[in-house]
Amino acid sequence: MSAAQRTSVQSSPPPLSLAEVGQYSWGLTLVFVLASTCWVLLSYTGDTFAALVFLMAIVLAGTRWNRGPVLLMAVVSALVWNYFFIPPQYTLHIEKPQDVVMFSLFFIVALSMGHLITQLRAREAALAQHHQEREHLLAEKHRAELLAESERLHHTLLDSVAHELKTPIAIIRTALDGLGQGNPYAQEIETANRRLQRIVESFLEMTRVESDALEPKPDWCEIGDVLHAATKPIQQELAGHTLLITGTKEMPLLRFDSRLLAQVLGNVLHNATRYAPPGSDIEIQAALVDGMLELRVRDHGPGLPLGAEEQLFDKFYRAPDSPTGGTGLGLAIARGLMRAMKGDIEAYTHPEGGAEFMLHLPVKTRSAA
Amino acid sequence: MSKALIIDDEQQMRRLLRMVLESRGYEVCEAADGQLGLQEAAFHRPDVVLLDLGLPGLNGIEVLKRLREWSDVPVLILSVRDQEAIKVEALENGADDYVTKPFGTAELLARLTVIQRRRFTRQSAEIVVGALKLDLLHHEASLDEVPLKLTPTEFALLKVLAEHAGRIVTQNQIIKQVWAGQTSDPSEGLRVHINHLRKKLGETGPRIVNEPGIGYRLEEA
Repeated sequence: MSAAQRTSVQSSPPPLSLAEVGQYSWGLTLVFVLASTCWVLLSYTGDTFAALVFLMAIVLAGTRWNRGPVLLMAVVSALVWNYFFIPPQYTLHIEKPQDVVMFSLFFIVALSMGHLITQLRAREAALAQHHQEREHLLAEKHRAELLAESERLHHTLLDSVAHELKTPIAIIRTALDGLGQGNPYAQEIETANRRLQRIVESFLEMTRVESDALEPKPDWCEIGDVLHAATKPIQQELAGHTLLITGTKEMPLLRFDSRLLAQVLGNVLHNATRYAPPGSDIEIQAALVDGMLELRVRDHGPGLPLGAEEQLFDKFYRAPDSPTGGTGLGLAIARGLMRAMKGDIEAYTHPEGGAEFMLHLPVKTRSAA
Repeated sequence: MSKALIIDDEQQMRRLLRMVLESRGYEVCEAADGQLGLQEAAFHRPDVVLLDLGLPGLNGIEVLKRLREWSDVPVLILSVRDQEAIKVEALENGADDYVTKPFGTAELLARLTVIQRRRFTRQSAEIVVGALKLDLLHHEASLDEVPLKLTPTEFALLKVLAEHAGRIVTQNQIIKQVWAGQTSDPSEGLRVHINHLRKKLGETGPRIVNEPGIGYRLEEA
């Protein structure tokens, strides 16, 4: 045991606990009982017997009790032995030199016994605690390793599931391209395949969002690039609408994860195309307010169902009377992604009709250059 | 006739790609895993390689690295993984471009054509992309025969993009060539110069298209 540990065991005794008070009382009681017994037997055994009985009691007490009670027992039993057993009895005075030696030896042995044994126990306790701490630490480490392993497995599983689900879709796509455009049946398969692809991608993305496997990678971006990346995959759906974009031209360079924001914007726009009447405008408005990028996407559809402004972002929520073919995941993913980037998305019915989605995202702006 | 090597573990995918490529006049050989793919590449000396990243055993990136030890054959990555990091890793290990499955046949063929073209443009001191002309000898650029006023950085940037016209160039690849040796993070400066270049190229010049998380692609208008 190190010096530091030893002093920590010995220093500054805490206020007496109930258990310690009990130990003190038991110690004194024990001395009293043993003294009485030995007193009765004194004529048969002699005073040395009493001394050995006291020593045994101290050693036994030392194996169970704290230092204080044991030392007290040692002192009290030495005095009791002296007073009641060593001739001349009933005085603390000792006559014979050999009795003085005996008493001194008893006193020293009793004290050091009590001290040694309690110290041994303290050392054992410290060792046990140390051991426990180590076990705890090892368990922690093991747990962390298990977690990392399970996360790795999760990623691998997600990757292989993605591979298994997307490969047939890719094969159908390539085969359909080979068939050519003319066949109306082939066109139906293609529409269904696109829908299947979107469902699979939504499920995979939702899983990624929920498993916290997402780490935003902010970099400097041009908002126009984000719009381009968001609209490109849904060109077909957007074809029937006019996009009116304001506020992007004068936007400075901003720092955020453009891929994630593009995906959010894509999901919101895709949602708008499903509800807005064909040929209607979809407005996108960008603004920079107090270090927050604000993007509003407004359509001219029927607006939101009353009271559904929050439910809208629940997984699998489908608005009543909504057109078939949605998964109810697009907006849940959008919110998950926005929150992963420390931003958020809200929806409400615009005072002049139509649904409006408001995205806000904390962004860094360019250092003055 | 161009010779194409398909390295993909999905038999159906290989069969379909073979049909698509043969209908366009390619001679096709194929391999079901990375090890076989490398052997086929050494044996047949293809003009272009279509490489799936999700191969069993020796993975796509590893195949690419070993292939690049002795060959500079154009490589097109086919991948169902749409995670950006893996694409960037492939591109920075010598892949020429990528298509993400499911892909359209037209897109695939266009990419194949572009990455095969790169061998011939390297020889000349002049790069032409649509209406854009870069004179590497005199460090001059012109759009529709009208000289463009470019700063040295803008010229260097446009040169990198034009050399890879139609192909994706990762942000790191651009930075390595244009801002070599600079210690501070030049990604902000890159965006600024891209912006200036876009303005100077206007509506008639080639477009600089950003692919979030990956890099830039110069596309003919």
